[in-house]
Amino acid sequence: MELFSEIYSCYYQVMRHLLTCQNALTADEIRSRICKEGFEESLLAIIPKLENGNWNLFQKEHELYFSKINSEFLTPLSRLQKSYLKALLSDPRITLFLNREQLHSLEHMLNSVEPLWHPKQIYYFDRFTDGDPYTDDAYRSKFRTLLSAQKNRQYADIDYNSPNGARVHHYYVPARLEYSVKNDKFRLLALKHAKNGRMRLEILNIARIQKVCLTDKFFTGQMDLNALIQDSYYKEPLRLHILNKRNALERAMLHFANYKKNTRKIGENTYECLIYYNQAMETELLIEVLSFGPMLKVVGNDRFLNNLKKS
Amino acid sequence: MSNFQELIKSFPKTREYVRDFFVYGFKTRNEFKEKSPRTYDNERRRLESWLGPFVQRDYVPGGFNISLAIDSGLLDSNPLFRVWKTKSFTDNDIVLHFLILDLLQDGQSLTAEELTDRLLTDYETLFDIQTVRRKCNAYEKEGLLGREKSGKAVRFFLDNRLSHWLKSNESARDALAFYQMAGCLGIIGNEILEQLESQNRSFRVKHSFFVHTLEDEILLSLLNAMNRKLNVELTIKSSKKGLENTASCIPLQIFVSARSGRRFLCGYVKRSKRFTCFRLDTVKQVGCLEPAPEYDGLQEKLERNRCLLWGVSFQGTERHHLDTLTMTLYVKEPRELYIVDRLKREGRGGSVTRMGENTWQYQRESFDCNEMLPWVRTFTGRILSLECTAKSVEQRFYQDLEDMYQMYQTGGNTDGTVF
Repeated sequence: MELFSEIYSCYYQVMRHLLTCQNALTADEIRSRICKEGFEESLLAIIPKLENGNWNLFQKEHELYFSKINSEFLTPLSRLQKSYLKALLSDPRITLFLNREQLHSLEHMLNSVEPLWHPKQIYYFDRFTDGDPYTDDAYRSKFRTLLSAQKNRQYADIDYNSPNGARVHHYYVPARLEYSVKNDKFRLLALKHAKNGRMRLEILNIARIQKVCLTDKFFTGQMDLNALIQDSYYKEPLRLHILNKRNALERAMLHFANYKKNTRKIGENTYECLIYYNQAMETELLIEVLSFGPMLKVVGNDRFLNNLKKS
Repeated sequence: MSNFQELIKSFPKTREYVRDFFVYGFKTRNEFKEKSPRTYDNERRRLESWLGPFVQRDYVPGGFNISLAIDSGLLDSNPLFRVWKTKSFTDNDIVLHFLILDLLQDGQSLTAEELTDRLLTDYETLFDIQTVRRKCNAYEKEGLLGREKSGKAVRFFLDNRLSHWLKSNESARDALAFYQMAGCLGIIGNEILEQLESQNRSFRVKHSFFVHTLEDEILLSLLNAMNRKLNVELTIKSSKKGLENTASCIPLQIFVSARSGRRFLCGYVKRSKRFTCFRLDTVKQVGCLEPAPEYDGLQEKLERNRCLLWGVSFQGTERHHLDTLTMTLYVKEPRELYIVDRLKREGRGGSVTRMGENTWQYQRESFDCNEMLPWVRTFTGRILSLECTAKSVEQRFYQDLEDMYQMYQTGGNTDGTVF
């Protein structure tokens, strides 16, 4: 069972899409799809193979390419993929997605397959212990309602208990369901109409949602979640100096790999790293920086530096 | 550069380059010393081809460096998965892939001879029987095709029920959309989704460390050895000095840090008679050896010992069997009781005791208390005292704190009453 195999390669995927098109394709259409779905230089490799007939998968008539295979073509799953699916069946979160009947069907189809791993073989040693209750029926029901609303861009009527104890009741458009590996919790990234008429991004812990109902109203406007997130970043990034002792450079680079960052060497053994973040990330980032002790020095921004000195 | 190929035969060399570009991203061409400049140029060109939108160029004195600018909070998939989709192949490979699978789509079973004939009659492509048989056998091994015997003849068939079920089942595709981002070996989920013409538009993952997908081939080999209860030989390249060595062990469990995404193999090393953890990103190769009859007993032993681990170290610097760390904290009640919640939630089973008004104590035994220091430091500003039976841990804590006070030129007192 090879993970690095040509059967999963990008070129095979591109070719499958070209070959299962309902209609004959022109050379320009083929080029355009390769550019869209392939790597940057794939065009240079694929086109000659189609033109010289080495990949004899099209019948060329006049200027049109007719696929030799059926447009209903479906790639079967490999043993590796089946074993992967079988392993997922033992994960408690799978019941958020599949009901009993669906689980039974999938288990039946994978009856003779060995799972790629067993849950007890993977141990998250620093995961928080108060993860979400995935097997709780009420939680599952809320999760599915929110997922449905997210996919249909439907307003959801949400009754929420905030961490500071305040009860919030509002209409939200779910934008994404965000999972935290560290907290083992789901959060809802949701849009809410602000008083200025714009949409504002809010983050709600799904376990804290008391009640959620779908409304019959759909969001029809433009939703650029990433723009909202990026707009929320402070203009001044966190500016860190990393002293490369006790392997701190590599540790820091890996530790902060999930942030947008930029690093450069500024001295023989010192590096400067800029990390972009927003208010919602601030406390967590402060905690992470503190954990490095004197191996990291915060030199800006002033806001972060003051918070660090206050801590 | 005329022989430049976008696709590659083997993964390991590329794995190192991608990791360096992604993790560091500040090395210029001259600083990649392990390989020739020509190799660097080819690897860089490939990287730019595969991951174009994420490649960032920064001009610095002495050249420019390229890095991968990936903000995981903004992405619905791991862009580094593309690196797994770059395996090279022959012309015959791709043609036979589509034509054989197309011939078998209707569920009928055919022998290699029949397939060869049909390739000629249906598609006007000529292959010899051996080539077709070899491909069918390889696909049977990969699980893409089934095989049955009919008299002396071997017939190949395709069972696509699972693919059809997944394609018609939205909930299953939602699950895959989630697990490709959040779970173990997400690359496989991502490839299934792609086959089903589906993609993730619903989930994001916080604390997602994309770079670790580069170790997935190693992880897969280790899981295979664990499932078969085999000894393994690991080829390891030290991250500090770059030296390569080998180690033999019985692989027992994969330890994962949710905070850094780092993954480790916890194995039993017979030679030292100890449990030891190996960072997966330093493992270059896994070789399966003979079965380990003591496997189940060792797993139970590890399970018993795990509650005394903090992270991945089974021995502290002072070579005590066990050490105890005691931290006393100031917590303004009731306003700051969230600190107590943190101690309970993040303290990995340590005891949390109220010592008096606004004073709480956290205590835990561990094989290596040194590993606890990064977490302990996150309570800086609230720690009244820290004691540890491993005195070097205590000293390091106070020394680091003193260094921080000097670094930020803030007032502090490190005589045991720190605020």
